[in-house]
Amino acid sequence: MITGNLKSSYAADEQVLDNRWKRGFLLACLAGLAAIAAFGNNYVILIACQMGIMLIAVTGVNVVIGYTGLMSLGHAAFVAIGAYAVVIFHNTAGAWLPDSVATVVAIPVAVAVSALIGVIVGLPSLRVKGLYLAVATLSANFIVIFLIEQDVFAPWTGGMNGINTPAPNLLGWEMDTRREQFVLIAALAVLSLLAAQNLFRTRVGRAFIAIRDRDYSAEILGISLYRYKLMSFAISAAYCGLAGALFAYFYARILPEQFELDLSLMLVAAIIVGGMGRTMGPVFGVIVIVMVPEVITVLFGAIAGGGAELAQIRAPIQEIAFGALIVGFLLFEPFGITHITDRALRALNRWPFARG
Amino acid sequence: MLSVRDLHLSFGGIKALQGVGFDAVPGEITAIIGPNGAGKTSLFNAISGFYRPERGKVMFDGQEITGLRPDKRAALGMARTFQNIALFRGMSVLDNIKLGAHTRLNAGVFDALRYFGRAQAEELALRADIENRVIEFLELDLIRKAPITALPYGLQKRVELGRALAMRPRLLMLDEPVAGMNREETEDMARFILDVQEEFGTTILLVEHDMHLVMDICTKVVVLNFGQQIASGTPDEVRRDRGVIEAYLGAAA
Amino acid sequence: MGQILQFAINGLMSGAIYALIAVGLVSVFKATRVVNFAHGYLIMFGAYFYFTFAVLVPQAAWAPEWLQSWRPEWMLAMRADLPMFSPMAAVLDWLANLPRIVLGLIGALVCNALLGLLIERVLMRPLMGQSVFAMIMLTVGLISILSGAAQLIWTSDAEFVPSLAPNTPIRFELFGSMIFLFGADLANMVIALLIFGGIVLMVRYTKSGIAIRATAEDQSTAYSMGISVPRVFSRAWVLASTTGAVAGAILATRNGISPSLGLFGFSVLAIVLMGGLDSYLGVFVAAMVVGVLEALTQWQFGGEWAGIVPYVAVLLVILVRPYGLFGSKEIERI
Repeated sequence: MITGNLKSSYAADEQVLDNRWKRGFLLACLAGLAAIAAFGNNYVILIACQMGIMLIAVTGVNVVIGYTGLMSLGHAAFVAIGAYAVVIFHNTAGAWLPDSVATVVAIPVAVAVSALIGVIVGLPSLRVKGLYLAVATLSANFIVIFLIEQDVFAPWTGGMNGINTPAPNLLGWEMDTRREQFVLIAALAVLSLLAAQNLFRTRVGRAFIAIRDRDYSAEILGISLYRYKLMSFAISAAYCGLAGALFAYFYARILPEQFELDLSLMLVAAIIVGGMGRTMGPVFGVIVIVMVPEVITVLFGAIAGGGAELAQIRAPIQEIAFGALIVGFLLFEPFGITHITDRALRALNRWPFARG
Repeated sequence: MLSVRDLHLSFGGIKALQGVGFDAVPGEITAIIGPNGAGKTSLFNAISGFYRPERGKVMFDGQEITGLRPDKRAALGMARTFQNIALFRGMSVLDNIKLGAHTRLNAGVFDALRYFGRAQAEELALRADIENRVIEFLELDLIRKAPITALPYGLQKRVELGRALAMRPRLLMLDEPVAGMNREETEDMARFILDVQEEFGTTILLVEHDMHLVMDICTKVVVLNFGQQIASGTPDEVRRDRGVIEAYLGAAA
Repeated sequence: MGQILQFAINGLMSGAIYALIAVGLVSVFKATRVVNFAHGYLIMFGAYFYFTFAVLVPQAAWAPEWLQSWRPEWMLAMRADLPMFSPMAAVLDWLANLPRIVLGLIGALVCNALLGLLIERVLMRPLMGQSVFAMIMLTVGLISILSGAAQLIWTSDAEFVPSLAPNTPIRFELFGSMIFLFGADLANMVIALLIFGGIVLMVRYTKSGIAIRATAEDQSTAYSMGISVPRVFSRAWVLASTTGAVAGAILATRNGISPSLGLFGFSVLAIVLMGGLDSYLGVFVAAMVVGVLEALTQWQFGGEWAGIVPYVAVLLVILVRPYGLFGSKEIERI
């Protein structure tokens, strides 16, 4: 039970990590990440990298859907743009730069390009809301992937067959093992999460929440809906672009079909499961969304022992499990896992005075 | 401070406002009254910028603002509360009030993402300012971290007033600030409104149904009926005006 | 000139099918205020049910011979005299398939209706009155469930599915140029238009149709007027899933059976939003326009580009008319 958590200055009250339990938790998480980097086996590192990349993307999606309330079903397009921007950069302008510098330049370029396209895709949000915006962003996703697949652009994008990607090289440190890449991904994931939380301690983040809750009231307070809606799209697109850039560096090859509607829906599912509009929401959501298919694979391996027939139904079962997760959370726990942890922590906080 | 000239507003066939015009008394409290459906909230919405009038002008501080968007008007110093409480239910009282000061702050996206540095300094200064000027002033200190949804109606209205005050407005528009309140709450709110006017010299424009409140604290009263302006003057003058009595009580048989 | 006309007519035929798919979406939206993002997958199930009852069941060991192919004596006699590709031969071949076509359609309609009822009762009912987001995401979750389930149940590859009408080639002249159609396509278009028209008339003139419109306007008032709102919901979903079954059957005969049939749902979703969510007329116009545009795009730029026509079209329309061509504006009271 946490008692005596009183503050004597406004500055102290404004802190996020205002008691030693929260500080301890953060340190434990960081220590955990370091442990994974040092001691994890290849499988663990692989899963951790996937989670890290997805975490960055879902954090971005959380900004636009969870905090600003704008429904976007097309954010996979920005992940694609980030990934392909990195590849195209390395193949064109980056070819003139020394290897050690190319990566450091490519990542910001990919983020900037994604943000720019995010503004364009966000334009419909100025005219329409809700359902119409959802379909508009969905359409944008289809169009972007379609353009990437076209033969016209194949010299740059590799068309439908995909294209090979370079390994990251951070000022001389060539990261060609998964473990090294994990360090980069983990660092960027932690920084992105912190930056997103910072956003909501300032006027910018508050403006987003205001737009979500009651946009005419936000206007009356001087918040320009145009500006902030587009800003929300740009920020979330930038996050997804960063995730896409890391995706390109992590995998040896990228294909347009990896960025289709399925990925957009997976991002949104993660935020529903984790909890919308909360900092830890993306973390919980990503853990569940990445672990569930893995758990199913492991279960199938244990039961079937590698039989070919059962392997065939593994993919459909994963799909059904995914859909069931979304449906289940929406019906029974619409505020996501963060709500469950809230309740648990509150009960813990009141112990032994709480009953149940 | 605020002048409205010959305002005409229609929704399809419904004439919400027909030729309304008055000046709000600078530094004093002006009330807009009228039976239900008279067009009071439409008038407020036109002054706020949500509706574009077909004819007429809205002038603020000598400047014409008739075509200006609502968010731009806030930057000029116009604050407003809503009839049906437009607080942000996903945030605490403190965050809601901080939002009132949005136009006075400057942090951009990159400052915000970094937080430590410019944005933090701004936020801490804002917190101190709001605590002194708004939270202590409106006696909200005990509930500052409470979520809006947990507050009773009367307190929510007070928080909305606080949010408007955080803007340091030159014109404060209150849409039915004491609607649905009992005697005690009404007196509290009246006291706060008077305090705002005395302490900060804000021009206040009020839409109200509570006649006691209006007659007690207002310097000038404008009466609307069916979108038309039927009287305007001091509370005493309006109280005795024939047209006003007819509008409210009906013509003598 | 002739080519444009040919493609335009093909486009109209596609458009009719889109309209048929769309009528289910609009009806469910009118009645329940829910837009079913998984409608395409309901249609896919309809197609698979048709496949099951029209192909798999007749092939089963316990099915009678005539189910697979009905060839009575007189038909064989007539057939023997005819040349290979004559219209009459096509009609006779179709007649031979008729029993399994009928079984397929009945099976598809019944099974899909049950599926629609199940979905409405189990998933949609609990979410009544919740936010738009929750409703969209629920149907999105449904997409994965239906897609996975279909893959689990029917794992065989695409096979031939009997078309609903005789597949004779039809040639005729229009404005001086030769137009070439398949009878089956024409019949599909007629079926789609008839069903679409029938439903519009039903919603406008019958008691249950009025119940749907009343519920669409104001659920509580409809309740107090004695309209059983849950029953209206069920009916709307059954309507959507049965029209979806027919659309699925048609699509199966035209495009073949595959899980990608589900993607039609998204392009029709774009069409529905383009036309205006609650307007049958708007949706009809939008479906025809998109059908023709797709065909013309195919003619000029090749088949691939036709795929994104509905998405580009909806974005353009939204820019100009945010609620679709014929949609009604939602007014928010401040």
